[in-house]
Amino acid sequence: MKLTPENFPNIADEYVLGLLNEADVIAVENEIERNAALANAVAEARERFLPLDTTVDPAAVSPVLWEAIEARLPEQAVANSRPAAPVSPVAPVAGNDNKRSGWRATAISAIAASLILAGGLVWSVTRTVEPLVVAVLVNEAGEVQAVVEDFGNDTASIKLLTDFAVPADKTMQVWTLPSREMGPMSLGLLEDRHSARLSGSALPRPQDAQLYEITLEQAGGSPTGRPTGPILAKGFAKLAR
Amino acid sequence: MSAVATAGLEYSQISECSGREDGLALATDQSTDLEGALFACAKGDRSGLRRIFDHEAGRLVAVAQRIVRRRDLAEEVVQEAFIRIWTHAHQYAPERGSARGWIYAIVRNRALNMLRDGSREDLVAEDRLETLQDSAQLEQIMGAWHRLDRNSRLKECLGRLDETRRRGILMAYVGGYTHGEIAGRLSLPLGTAKSWIRRGLLTLRECMA
Repeated sequence: MKLTPENFPNIADEYVLGLLNEADVIAVENEIERNAALANAVAEARERFLPLDTTVDPAAVSPVLWEAIEARLPEQAVANSRPAAPVSPVAPVAGNDNKRSGWRATAISAIAASLILAGGLVWSVTRTVEPLVVAVLVNEAGEVQAVVEDFGNDTASIKLLTDFAVPADKTMQVWTLPSREMGPMSLGLLEDRHSARLSGSALPRPQDAQLYEITLEQAGGSPTGRPTGPILAKGFAKLAR
Repeated sequence: MSAVATAGLEYSQISECSGREDGLALATDQSTDLEGALFACAKGDRSGLRRIFDHEAGRLVAVAQRIVRRRDLAEEVVQEAFIRIWTHAHQYAPERGSARGWIYAIVRNRALNMLRDGSREDLVAEDRLETLQDSAQLEQIMGAWHRLDRNSRLKECLGRLDETRRRGILMAYVGGYTHGEIAGRLSLPLGTAKSWIRRGLLTLRECMA
């Protein structure tokens, strides 16, 4: 294929018809970026054949399809969109209450918060928090992959001990099974394949032999709220003593 | 171009006969609003994507299904295409063609990729190779031409091509067939099929110019 201007109309047609081989498709798509003449030829070819598509009998679309799309939407890098699937299921509360009493309450609570923080700082410096349970997660081959420390105060720490291969459109999600009745509950997402401290999942106090696992889910986390992807690692907790 | 003209006409008709807001909204949806919806997507507004879905998803699933054959795969194609529309909406440039053309191209590319992607061969190939399915498939492909608006320039110009060339072009665009598959179905040597299609496309461009 020669990408010369006199060939553009034919190349654009064959590109739009899907008749080019893979290498030529890549060449065309690269050239379109900087070559307005080729870009215009492709746009014209598209418009020329488009009526063959827009006159098709529409298929009946189930609402599930939209839900599946929405669950997978990554966040746009712009402010006014909704927050990404949060690590915690706790609903956000508006912080900007402009009533006067609201400001007074804010001031009081700010003072209280700084006192609590100061106290907490002293406490955390003088005392290390111990996890209630520790779970060593292994893969199918029995190799150690990660360690989960659950502190029982709605906080868990996940330390990854190996490099996980996570495709760009996927994410790692951490789960635990507090009880059969509750079923698997999400502790949160591991962004960027890093160790993390996940908090906010209000779950029952972790028990001895409670199951923890990490699964590969679509970006933004499992759309169903239950693990759907392959299990990367799992293990049972032991009470720390 | 003709799609825009038709939409413009619809717009004027509806705004003439109805001052109601929903009528107006319906009319603008037909023309410029896919563009507005893409701009909304680029700004991170999910309702923009939802508008595109409400308006086009049925046709997009049908278009994808003509290529990948199976409904479940077609829905997968549309799902992935909508994620791409969302993440790439900022790249849409109105001076480079209609919003509708841009959206359909993303779905078509996704469908063709799935078809040509080795990993999905087992899922798709069985249907494609079955000659039993072929006659129904070819009928559907030719149907796309018959369904075109009677006054459509594309319909008229495709009609002027000799049948083999018309078939080759429609098999590629509507059904996602490769040169090799078209040559096989039309019982032509590969080189002959390629040059017939090329000449058919040239005649079509001249006719529609």
